[in-house]
Amino acid sequence: MDTVKVKRETKNKIKVDFERAPLWVRLKQKFFSFNFLKNVVFKIFRLILLIGITFVILYPYISKILKSIMSVSDMKDATVVLISKAPTLNQYWYILTENGYLKAFITTFLVSFSIALIQTLICALVAYGLAKFKFKGNAIVFAFVIATLMIPQETLKNSMTAFFRQITMIETTLNPVSLVLELIQKWTGVFENGVGFTNSLIPLYVLSVFGLGFKNGLFIFMLRQFFKGVPDELEESAFVDGSSTLRTFFSIILPISVPMLITVFIFAFSWQWTDDFYTKIFFNDASKFSFMSTIDGVPATIREMMKYETSSIQQAYSATLSGTASILIALPLIIMYVFLQRRIVEGVERSGIVG
Amino acid sequence: MSFDTKNKRSFKATSQIVGEEQSYLAEPIALAGSEKIVPSEVVVEAPTVSAPEVAVNEPAPYIPRKKKKFKLSLTGKKALSGWLFCLPFVIGILGIYLPIVLKSIEVGFHGSMGNNPAFTLDAYKFVFIEDGQFTTTVVDAIKDLIIQIPAIVIFSLFMAIILNQKMTGRTFFRAVFFLPVILSTGIIDAIDTRISAGAIVEGGAMDDNTGGETAGLMSSLDMEMLLSSVNLRLTLGKTTIDLVEIVTTLVNNIFEIVSRSGVQMLIFLSGLQSISPSIYESCQMEGATAWETFWKITLPMISPMILVNAIYTVVDLFTAADNRVMQGLAGYGGMFGDKNPGNFSAGIWVYTALVLVVIVVVALLLRTVVFYQRRD
Repeated sequence: MDTVKVKRETKNKIKVDFERAPLWVRLKQKFFSFNFLKNVVFKIFRLILLIGITFVILYPYISKILKSIMSVSDMKDATVVLISKAPTLNQYWYILTENGYLKAFITTFLVSFSIALIQTLICALVAYGLAKFKFKGNAIVFAFVIATLMIPQETLKNSMTAFFRQITMIETTLNPVSLVLELIQKWTGVFENGVGFTNSLIPLYVLSVFGLGFKNGLFIFMLRQFFKGVPDELEESAFVDGSSTLRTFFSIILPISVPMLITVFIFAFSWQWTDDFYTKIFFNDASKFSFMSTIDGVPATIREMMKYETSSIQQAYSATLSGTASILIALPLIIMYVFLQRRIVEGVERSGIVG
Repeated sequence: MSFDTKNKRSFKATSQIVGEEQSYLAEPIALAGSEKIVPSEVVVEAPTVSAPEVAVNEPAPYIPRKKKKFKLSLTGKKALSGWLFCLPFVIGILGIYLPIVLKSIEVGFHGSMGNNPAFTLDAYKFVFIEDGQFTTTVVDAIKDLIIQIPAIVIFSLFMAIILNQKMTGRTFFRAVFFLPVILSTGIIDAIDTRISAGAIVEGGAMDDNTGGETAGLMSSLDMEMLLSSVNLRLTLGKTTIDLVEIVTTLVNNIFEIVSRSGVQMLIFLSGLQSISPSIYESCQMEGATAWETFWKITLPMISPMILVNAIYTVVDLFTAADNRVMQGLAGYGGMFGDKNPGNFSAGIWVYTALVLVVIVVVALLLRTVVFYQRRD
């Protein structure tokens, strides 16, 4: 300590003094200070914690992946816990071929992509309207946004199905949509047998177009908070330059909110990708459309093959199949996530969701 | 063409308004000298109305007209475009959402999905009296919630603070921590639940084949044995709360807690990012320790986020399709099964009402401690 005497504390002076000091003094100063020790202990603790929780999160996926390559003999072998002794890719093969993974992949991709696009755009529009314009009823509309978020999906399951199934039967429900459709029917006679949207994608798109899709309330909320943080001067200057509100929105607001929009898009896409609520209620005949949510069944050949095994083996095998299916469902999402995860964090960080 | 007529119209309208306002202004000043409130109102209104009028008189005749129309109709225009932006959602709410909600409530009072106008309370009778399971399950779910909300909120705050620090591998850890937001939903979640349920039925082999379970990490029995010598009990009146049990439940549900705190973590992270670094700087200059800084700066500044997250957690936990009440209600059946849709509707609306009550209670409780930074 004595050797380092600093008279005028310039950076260079300190550096020079430090470099002139003998090596052991330097080392002592660096490594035997209380602060350094505290720092090291803190960092080690933090690292252990993070690695531990990372393990907790990843363990189910790791174990699922390891189990997905097990063969039937591994399941009978009590010594096999996670590492397979006779690895096989049969399960993947069954799901890819018999459960129609590729077909499901294409349909789900197209549906999820378009739905996510629509939802992102509509939610952005509504959120912008709520964030930047003062009008009577703004608070009420926002209250409805929150209400759609708070009422559980399951609550509306039956009536939503009914709504889209018997959409033209005025006498059952007095809803505006069926009135409009009834008028169209009277003028044109198109819907003679009544419009029922069973096994059809239309209800999904209708819900998305009106900002009522899965967790769209959350998207509107997030985007609203983001738009509130956008300075008003931007719009004002655009307005002075003669740009209409809609044009301002599309050519100024949307480009600057790309990170946030990507975040919302990823959420919308992946929640639609793994959706089993809407596909279940709108598609009572799953064979007509195949989605990601329909590929996890046990194929017929497996059922035939496993007929003579004990029930516990059967159960273990079907669990393995389901696990494999869920890996295959998650895989495209994980790939997308790896490329875009920085954007998610960025988008939410910039949103400034501050009350 | 239409543009021109619009311009003229709005110009006329605005000039009329200005004229009226002026005549209105002139009167009260002359008449109501005795009342003090009226003049003060007039004084407040006067600059906003008369300012453009003054500006109008100075420049050449055709420019001010444009300006005048422009300024006065701004509020109305803004309100109109606000409505236009919200239009899809408003139509959706009125045309689709409200009818669905009303129908759903109605079914509970009619007892069936069909066109049956008879008003009965049978479904509610069934839910509250005949089905003994419902009330107990709901009470249990709320009890669980009381433990889980603070656990999730505190955990996500803690992790957000750690993930906000600069360190190597931060991107990786963040990516892993937010992975459940993307992956633990819908069908993947359903498969996990099914697999783990199957494995438990299978014969208590908790650690194999469990997609979502990580009970193999630390068995609750080990924990209980470890802590059995410590008698941590909290007595509140007649009820005793076993703290050891709470801890072991939390440890066993660690995966559940971690996977349900992704969105909350994101919200906290964004909140942490929005705290101005200069506050921390000045704290450091005043010699505050990290501990003090956390309690005096970070926590108050992040408290609105705690409110948002607590509510989000309530909604998320309550509306999860795999929670016990939802599972129980699924047993009441849907509309096309042979089970009674009226009972389902009644049960789920009672439950939804309870959720709303819980949300209001949580909001009111947290509101007393939330600190809002004054914006300038």
